[in-house]
Amino acid sequence: MVRVTLLGLALATAASFSGEAAVQSAPQAAVTGGTLVYLEAQPHTNLYPPAGGFYPNGGIINQLADRLTYQNPKTLKIEPWIAESWTVNPAETEYTFKIRKGVSFSDGTPLDAAAVAKNYDTYGSGNTALRQPPSEVINNYLRSEVIDSHTVKFVFSKPSPGFLQGTSVIGSALVSPGTLAHNFDELGKATAIIGSGPFVATSEVLGKQLVFTARKDYDWGPPGFAHHGRAYIDAIKLIVAPEDSVRIGALLAGQADIIRQVQAYDEKQVRDQGYVIYAPPTRGVNNSVVFRPDNPLVADIRVRQALLHATDTQEIVQTLYSPNYPRATSILASTAAGYVNLSAKLTFDIAKANALLDSAGWKIGADGLRQKDGKELTLSIYPSLPQPQNRAMLELISQQWAKVGVRLNVMTGDAGSHMVDDLDPLKTPVAPAMVGRADPDVLKSEFYPLNRDSLRQKGGGSTKIQSFVDDKLNALLVAIASEPDENKRLSLVGQVQNYVIDQAYAIPTFEEPQAFAAAPYLKQIEFEAVGRPSFYNTWIAKH
Amino acid sequence: MVLWAAFTIAFILLQALPGDALLIKFQNPDLGLSPRQIADIRAAYGADQAMWVQYVHAVGRALTGQFGYSVVSGVPVTEELAANFVPTLALTGFGFLTAVLVAIGITSLSLLTPFSGLRSLACSLPALFISIPTFWLGIEMIQVFSFHFRLVPVIGAEGWKGLILPVLTLAIPISAPLSQVLVRSIDDVQTQPFVAVARAKGASRFWVLSRHVLRNALPPTLTIAGVLFGELLGGAVITETVFGLNGIGRLIQEAVNNQDAAVLQAIVVISAVGFVIINMVVDLLYPLLDPRLLNHAGAAR
Repeated sequence: MVRVTLLGLALATAASFSGEAAVQSAPQAAVTGGTLVYLEAQPHTNLYPPAGGFYPNGGIINQLADRLTYQNPKTLKIEPWIAESWTVNPAETEYTFKIRKGVSFSDGTPLDAAAVAKNYDTYGSGNTALRQPPSEVINNYLRSEVIDSHTVKFVFSKPSPGFLQGTSVIGSALVSPGTLAHNFDELGKATAIIGSGPFVATSEVLGKQLVFTARKDYDWGPPGFAHHGRAYIDAIKLIVAPEDSVRIGALLAGQADIIRQVQAYDEKQVRDQGYVIYAPPTRGVNNSVVFRPDNPLVADIRVRQALLHATDTQEIVQTLYSPNYPRATSILASTAAGYVNLSAKLTFDIAKANALLDSAGWKIGADGLRQKDGKELTLSIYPSLPQPQNRAMLELISQQWAKVGVRLNVMTGDAGSHMVDDLDPLKTPVAPAMVGRADPDVLKSEFYPLNRDSLRQKGGGSTKIQSFVDDKLNALLVAIASEPDENKRLSLVGQVQNYVIDQAYAIPTFEEPQAFAAAPYLKQIEFEAVGRPSFYNTWIAKH
Repeated sequence: MVLWAAFTIAFILLQALPGDALLIKFQNPDLGLSPRQIADIRAAYGADQAMWVQYVHAVGRALTGQFGYSVVSGVPVTEELAANFVPTLALTGFGFLTAVLVAIGITSLSLLTPFSGLRSLACSLPALFISIPTFWLGIEMIQVFSFHFRLVPVIGAEGWKGLILPVLTLAIPISAPLSQVLVRSIDDVQTQPFVAVARAKGASRFWVLSRHVLRNALPPTLTIAGVLFGELLGGAVITETVFGLNGIGRLIQEAVNNQDAAVLQAIVVISAVGFVIINMVVDLLYPLLDPRLLNHAGAAR
């Protein structure tokens, strides 16, 4: 039953599986046992749970730790998990959770109200003495109150409707109080992260390999699951294989069972051999190009609108990606709550783009580039490394914009220069953007000056801003994060989507999935709401 | 002195680069931190202090043997080094050994074979080997031997099995300059009068080559080998990336990308020590191979 991973020559030929890709429709009983070999593209970094936004980190923390609530990826509803039930006051400034009894961390510490309070105090306010930063998803946090051993209350300074969903994300994973007693700098080893999850990190070779073992006494998965008790598989062996062709080849040669990060151009090869592509959506702000209007070149709304209409997202999706990467029809993914279809405003229209640029005073010069007052309309952008084929996409956009006389330089530079330049709109008038989170708060995360500040407003993260600030947008974003009424909140989400596109602050391109490829004998691979894998329900069929 | 200079220059260069590890780590959108939160974290790390204060702290830590923590990966630098140093030594050690064997093989083939066709083939091998890109070679090795013929696993391979393909990938390109230098210096030595004398005395071709020519031809090759080995330690980065191996090369690349000062400082110090030691070993080996140097030292006593 245990998977043999070190295939010798003889075994390899015996294990040839090319002929058995036929789909079996009869439901099979789940099998317990076996080791899953999972190939990652990048090594994880610091595993402090709020750093779980980085996909390699999220994929690890998701196996090790549970959360208060479970967001059903199909309905996006929040369901009980470690919290059996909860109550919220009408103003949405106080949340009270009843904690399930009998849950323990893998170091034996009970997961009780005090442990939950310790976690949220850290994630809500940060712990500067231990260099632990606060979590992006918990806003307006004031304090926790331990009411009894299994009841905990959180108090907020303002209405915080996004908090409930915030308790379900990987960044709010519950870890043992002992783990949080470590300095931030010591949380980079998976074996140091003690959670209550279905797996425990038992051994690690830094940067290369991580072994998870199933916890035999685990019995507190989300109550909504059909499966209770321990995980089906005995162990997960996570191996880092940075080279794309090596991951794919290893999967197809039977050296691995599931791999993360499959490029769109490799999908066909995988499917042709009877393997399965999984492309769970990330349900947040789509892959976009955003403008920094503080730069005079893009301060004029007509210039931004022109570039929006000069961008052919259909061509981008068709040339570079696959049907798993749907064309964006708003700044939010179509799978996100509160999404509105704005495709009528996102048309590809060269004539309109040219007319807008003409009316803004940018005339085509002798070299085919638009000029105004002796200046050329030349913009620069740094590609984002985590986004799939971002450089190729930006280069394609650069070709598209060249057709209306605008030059887009796709830059190359070290991470330090990138970060420094990224704070200065004069150097980076345009930038790639994308956030995965299945709650309307994601809009505030992306655009609000005190969060990611992707438009670079005055009073935000950069000291280089002369004057740009959009009070109307900011007021709408704050309202989303503090509107207790769900319907009113979703209507605000619609207003922000319309406003950002009307102002042409962003050009959404496509909805980013997380692409995985897995062997056909791997059953019930599941993904949380923004596409990190969960192997709790996964089992390995006979093959 | 050399170590202090290396340490200080590395510190100054790292400071001169735009941005720093904290900015790269905490400004990163994955954390989604607000500007004030980032400022708090920078203060907690002491990154808001004057540069000379930071330098004094860094020297103090280095002198007491504390290498600190990697900001990026959140583990002690010593553990990062431990996890990467041994695999690099194994890879480069065996890679170098294999390269030497291949170089000697090519050289003897080109000198001893009676078939002229084979000889010219052997002579053209170095030029071929040196122009193969390591990246391509590694991927082809994996595709052919691991995925197609399934002779050795790449994923999760333990011990020597996991080393075969990477070692070959590393060895083939560096065997080329070695054999070129060896062939060239053997040619040079063969024209020397004492070779003709030895042959005239009736020594066999093989005897002359191994006893007289090779001993005289080795020192220049050894010098090149010493330099190559030093480069290898850092230069194995492509092989490491393709095969997903741990190693100092990959560690350096990551650390440079993220300006992970603590890791880089430690590597600079260790590399300085390593280069000093390797050069010393090469210098000490000379007299063993070249009796003239030994006699000279004896005569001067």
